[in-house]
Amino acid sequence: MSRPASRLNRYFCVAIAIGVAALGSAILESSLSAQAKSAAEEESSEVFTPAHPTVYDAIREFFGIRSKPVQPIAYTHKVHLANGMQCVQCHVGVDQGPDARIPSVNFCMTCHQVIATDKPEIKKLASYKGRGEDVPWQRVYGFQPSAHVKFNHAPHIRAGVDCSVCHGDMRQQTVAERKVDHTMGFCIDCHQQKNASIDCVTCHF
Amino acid sequence: MERRDFLKISAVAGATAALEGCGNPDHQLIRFVPEEDLIPGLATWKPSICTLCPAGCGLLVRVMQGEAEVIRNGQRGLLKMGLAKKLEGNPAHPINQGKLCPRGQAGLQVTYHPDRIKGPLARVGPRGSGQFREMTWDDAIRQVASQLSELQASNQESALALITSPLRGQKKAIFAAFAAHFKKSLSVETALLDDTTIRAANAASFGHALPPTLSLAQSNYVISFGADFLGTWNSPVAQAIGFGRMRQGRPGQRAKFVQFEQRISQTGASADEWIFVRPGAEGTLALSLAHVIMAEKLRPAATGPAGQLIEGWAQGLPDHAPEKIAEQTGVKAETIARIAREAAALDPAMAIVGDAAIAQTNGLFNALAVNALSALLGSVGKPGGILFSPAPAAKPSGLTLEILASQINSGGAAPTVLLLYGANPLFSAPAAWGLRAALDKIPFIASFNSFLDETTTLADLILPDHSPLESWLDDEPPAGSARAIRSVAAPAMHALHNTRSTPDVLLDVAHQVGGNLAKTLPGKTYDEMIQASFAALYKEKGIKTAKDVDEFWTKTQEQGGWWSAESEAAVGSATAMSNAAAKQTAPRFDGDASEYPFHFLPFASQLFYDGSLAHLPWMQEAPDPLSTVMWGTWIEVNPRAAQKLSIRQGDLVEVASPHGKLEASVLINPGIAPDVLAMPVGQGHQNFTRYAAGRGANPISILSPLTVEGTNSLAWAATRVKLSVLGRGKLVLFGASLTESSPELQHR
Repeated sequence: MSRPASRLNRYFCVAIAIGVAALGSAILESSLSAQAKSAAEEESSEVFTPAHPTVYDAIREFFGIRSKPVQPIAYTHKVHLANGMQCVQCHVGVDQGPDARIPSVNFCMTCHQVIATDKPEIKKLASYKGRGEDVPWQRVYGFQPSAHVKFNHAPHIRAGVDCSVCHGDMRQQTVAERKVDHTMGFCIDCHQQKNASIDCVTCHF
Repeated sequence: MERRDFLKISAVAGATAALEGCGNPDHQLIRFVPEEDLIPGLATWKPSICTLCPAGCGLLVRVMQGEAEVIRNGQRGLLKMGLAKKLEGNPAHPINQGKLCPRGQAGLQVTYHPDRIKGPLARVGPRGSGQFREMTWDDAIRQVASQLSELQASNQESALALITSPLRGQKKAIFAAFAAHFKKSLSVETALLDDTTIRAANAASFGHALPPTLSLAQSNYVISFGADFLGTWNSPVAQAIGFGRMRQGRPGQRAKFVQFEQRISQTGASADEWIFVRPGAEGTLALSLAHVIMAEKLRPAATGPAGQLIEGWAQGLPDHAPEKIAEQTGVKAETIARIAREAAALDPAMAIVGDAAIAQTNGLFNALAVNALSALLGSVGKPGGILFSPAPAAKPSGLTLEILASQINSGGAAPTVLLLYGANPLFSAPAAWGLRAALDKIPFIASFNSFLDETTTLADLILPDHSPLESWLDDEPPAGSARAIRSVAAPAMHALHNTRSTPDVLLDVAHQVGGNLAKTLPGKTYDEMIQASFAALYKEKGIKTAKDVDEFWTKTQEQGGWWSAESEAAVGSATAMSNAAAKQTAPRFDGDASEYPFHFLPFASQLFYDGSLAHLPWMQEAPDPLSTVMWGTWIEVNPRAAQKLSIRQGDLVEVASPHGKLEASVLINPGIAPDVLAMPVGQGHQNFTRYAAGRGANPISILSPLTVEGTNSLAWAATRVKLSVLGRGKLVLFGASLTESSPELQHR
């Protein structure tokens, strides 16, 4: 096969591939949305299953794709930290156990009953409180269940690991974003540097 | 371009397009504002009390923050709250010493049961249709209060009926105040496996109207007549701990244990000797053992009232020579003599009686006879024998379901209001008592139960109680430890649903009714009443371990209760409460022996207890320890009887008594007498959640309405039945499903 013909052929193939992909995605999308809908209708299944509720979820997990969390309120870490607050004041328990608390709307309102009450985001916060609802914060970090990682904050805090090592410099962030990729390599690097155990069962158990 | 490249590009492009097209799959339930701010991931262990059987074991509940799907103000949403995750025994509690039985472990599922009644309901359809509408608590309480106010105004006699499970502590005080306030109210405490007969016998023999506390750990010889003391009878966890110590806690000294019964129980399976005794002949057999001991002068014959009660005791029971009663009891004369000699030689020895042996028409006599043998063995009130705890002895009201039903059905005035709490009498009473017809004549039934069981389905108003883990609890267990015990527990978690603690609801009702009822129950809340009772205890006992009453109250809550440091068992036998001689009576059985050739022996299920736990899926799916049957019911037939009737394992048979019939699959059991058919109690619920309803058959439903002479307790082992084969049934055994084609059946 001559070279120009080959190039033409390649373009042709790519065009077909994209066409097939577009068609496939259209079919897939419609079937996925149908599935997502039926899953939503069923709401809570009677039977526990480790399987993914939709093909879409399975694909996402396989490729490690995570949607960007969209927070209901444009909370700003920057302002709170600039005003002298410490991480642990809101994220209580980070030095005591596996998880750090995300404060409830009650906790926010202890200050915001009087502070910055005229700001639109604070009004949103107050309206949540008024409706008896908590703020549905979206998860930013966290591991896929299939990774079988058990992470515990407290020993990391005790070892003097700064929050920013894993979470980025929150003084520069408004809404929390995934600034650091928590891959296994990231964990192992640090464990090796600090002579912490890199035995599998340290994290996978 | 290679084919591989093409596929790769298509796959990635396609997947990406698909992924971008879809939204966030997170489900959109709203989140309610949490009522408590907990540190996520950290567990706390809170003390509580197991309420699933009368033993009263202490619990530790592991509580962690979790997210529960709840309904608040008519809206479904997620609530972050402290949730009970695991139940264990409380190591500090003297009854169970950190241990817990499988039924207790499954208590967690009561709280999270999907079919719990989630808020107050009012009946809308015809009675029994199961159609209810939701209502508010204010309305529900107002309705009960107005019904009771009417009763109060009319001053009518016997207009209020209370049917409850046997109650203790402050709950009993509240119900008692209601019963006392209304003229001649009909108050019935009912349970299939009640301890009325053993209490009556112990009162007569030893002066203690309590079930016995077994000092097994120090015992050297145990003779049990029918009591499944390692499984379900009395205080099984405490007894299993004692039994373990008796067997393995003293190097070189193992003790001997002999079990007399009709069907091998879980306890019988642990015996050194398991001996069949004819139904109802346990008392005669005990007296025969006593005869040998007295005749051979193996023990001093002075036994106090326990022996004096028995006719012919002073003469050494000449009619009970082993040779004379061997045929009557089904036990060989030489066996009787040998066991009597062994028991007399191995001090301390104890004799215990329970379950089917006292659920015969002559059950009280059997219990008195075994008590006399115990007294002769000389270990009553001593380590290694039978002790009595310092718990208060409850006086039975004398009124039973049978009497109540017959009063109503025979044309007497039916009560106007029935309050039902903790009991499900339509399941646990024989159909022959006519309770269903009697309940239909009661115009207003309010149930405080948490599930739509057979009786609650008939209620006009349902005011669901909190689950035990969501409630304040107090308890005073009558047996299991010789120490004085007062258990208390604050709620381990907030309520999941729109339920309310029944004692608190009753206090609200009392205050709305007003008058003397409100005066006798001045406490605003149940926990105030419990606290007051502990303040009284602090004074009464002169407790030194706390500097003041507040510290005492805090400490008891942290520990799960207060208990004495040492045994406070009553020493020796007190004066007997009855002077009447216990005449030997032969057991009566309902049904003609020629038409109904089998004795019918229902037995307490290791998993469902008396049937009140059949709604717990963990109990349904757990294999029965002896038969390995799961999710069903079965009837045990002796292999010889089965051969005679050409019955194979797994056959569906019909069991008929003069009062009804049921169907069940056959399980061949060599550990049962050829003329006895045994069946576990617990299944056969008509309504009792998705897990129990319509599953298996209920043996109580076909029982004869015979009662124990002298105590009026149901004689649940006194029915005769016949058997006919219907075809092939199905038994789900652990690891194998037995059907027609199953190879397991072919060799039988």
